[in-house]
Amino acid sequence: MTAPMGIFRGRGVALALIAPALAVVGLFFVAPLVMSGVVAFRGKGGEFTLEHFRKSFDYYTTDLLFTLAIVLLSTLLIGLVAIAIAGYLTLGGHPRTVAVLRWLYRWPLFIPFVVAGQLMRTFLAKNGMLNHVLIGSGLIEPLSAQSLLDWRGIVVAFVWKQAPFVTLLLAGAMAAVESQHIEAARNLGARRLRVLVDIVLPQVRGTLLVGLVLSFVTMLSVLSVPLMINPNSPTMVTVDVAYRISTHGDYPVANALCLLSLALAAIGAVFYLRHAAAQVEGK
Amino acid sequence: MKTRMFILAVALAFAGATAAQTTLNVVTAGDQNMVDYVNNYLAPKFEAANPGVKVRAVGTGPGDAGSQKIYEKLSARQKAGNNEWDVDVAVIHQLASATMVKEKLLLPYRNDVSVGKLVSRDTAKNALGADVDGYVMPMFHSQIVFAYNPDLVKAPPKSFVELNDWVKKNPKQFGYNGVKGGMSGVGFVTGWVSAYSGMGDKLEKGPYDASAAPAIDKALSGLKEFNQYVVMTPGNAGTLDMLNRGEIAMGPVWVDMFYTWQADGRMSPKIKLVLPSPGLPGQPMYYVIPAKAAHAQLAKKFIELAESPEVQADGIIKQFNWYPGIDPQYVQPKLDQAAWNKLFTDISPADLSKYGRPFPLSPYFKDIVEGYERVVLK
Repeated sequence: MTAPMGIFRGRGVALALIAPALAVVGLFFVAPLVMSGVVAFRGKGGEFTLEHFRKSFDYYTTDLLFTLAIVLLSTLLIGLVAIAIAGYLTLGGHPRTVAVLRWLYRWPLFIPFVVAGQLMRTFLAKNGMLNHVLIGSGLIEPLSAQSLLDWRGIVVAFVWKQAPFVTLLLAGAMAAVESQHIEAARNLGARRLRVLVDIVLPQVRGTLLVGLVLSFVTMLSVLSVPLMINPNSPTMVTVDVAYRISTHGDYPVANALCLLSLALAAIGAVFYLRHAAAQVEGK
Repeated sequence: MKTRMFILAVALAFAGATAAQTTLNVVTAGDQNMVDYVNNYLAPKFEAANPGVKVRAVGTGPGDAGSQKIYEKLSARQKAGNNEWDVDVAVIHQLASATMVKEKLLLPYRNDVSVGKLVSRDTAKNALGADVDGYVMPMFHSQIVFAYNPDLVKAPPKSFVELNDWVKKNPKQFGYNGVKGGMSGVGFVTGWVSAYSGMGDKLEKGPYDASAAPAIDKALSGLKEFNQYVVMTPGNAGTLDMLNRGEIAMGPVWVDMFYTWQADGRMSPKIKLVLPSPGLPGQPMYYVIPAKAAHAQLAKKFIELAESPEVQADGIIKQFNWYPGIDPQYVQPKLDQAAWNKLFTDISPADLSKYGRPFPLSPYFKDIVEGYERVVLK
């Protein structure tokens, strides 16, 4: 008699312990998601309709594709930058440069997206700081200076802001790689780049993937950067969502667009879950 | 027992009346500068003139959404059958004022206040096609105009037609912020449609006619071609930034933002303004008194102060660079020549009354901005 009671009591305690977390998730994530779904599919008279999705595709197909392209390109570049920095931190031969780089690369982590957007706005403008430096150093002619405040500006801001995050994860994982592997390869005459690509990277692939997926999803949801750098067509879906709400008070189409970006984010989630599942099975 | 209760109640009432101050609640839509204006500028003046009164200003946020919140609050009070609403003066946008007059949420007060006769613009009677005569007084007007760099533009285009020719001769020198980056871009687009559809009056005064859509789309297809020759800027401030850095030579801006930037040293003093024919839109903010305001008499006194030529001169024009809510002829004598010149150098009061237009009626407005996405952006 006591044993089942004990189990029951254990379960009760466990349930009580996770109840607050579950309530928060239910109240602030699941419920709004369900409501968003309901509003996106509900017509004026309360009937089921695909009208809002039709309108979303009609008006915003370009922006959806643009969003996907921007975020994919940024993810790719973030991956390359993160591998380069983390690789140097792990394999770099010059201790002082490594120390300086280690100290420097984390700075953007502490800068909010909106501030990054504002920085880029003056940095990448036609008569902005970047072009001034390039013209001053004689690298480009004043007449050929052009504004980078379009899709390129968004990509630069995203890579600048997210690469340190992935680097942080990746450098940690690389530090955990058995140093014997690296030393063995080096002893056999492998160059640093080869060690990075053939020995280190395969061992930290999972961490890299997780970092990139998290960046992918984060970038999908950023409103401030595209709003500040390039809110005009084509632009990212977040700007369109904000626009539908603030100018038209049009929650149905805004919600339909949100569900569509959720579908984009789901691509990332699939990768993430696969990796997580593989890890569990591996164990 | 009853008598004792009665005496107690009377005593309490007296105690309350003598000890407590009266609080005048002013609720304002708009940016923080609106709240600052009431708290830092108007409130001390009003409190000094009315001992025992305390002014409390609350902001509800920028844009039509801010006015919407005020509407929702008053509407809730009305539905609850409440007889003393805790908003005495509200400052709202045009769109909300139309709804609030229709739903009898406002008190007609303009004929009761001495300053009521000082207003002259059409906006005091008509808000985006709705009759609001008597219920509102414009606190200020703001206006969208073209700002241009006279070093690069010797003779600025005086009309939309001239502008269209000008951008073809000077590609990538005109910049505006589309319809998703703030109202100066939206105003440019509605101004374009008014000019090229030939329906300016109809768009502003109505009645709404859905069959006008093809004419709007046609005007917008002209804008699509125009867009090939211009730069898209990131927002109201983005246009000002690019002008100041010399990246564009001309663009639509809000007059008050422009002058504030110039006063702060964020905008080159060389840049000048022009208001093209047949006009660009502008909008007022309105002072209104809710139908059952707890202190309606005090509210009227407050608005009399706020609309007095002295306050309009010193507060609205000199400190905040807005155009006055009342007729400029009453304000000019109260203002030194320099301050007056600053506001009206580039754009004369005559031009302002001729080319300063309201935004289109809200159904047309919706047709235009949605049409922009459909026709121009695709």
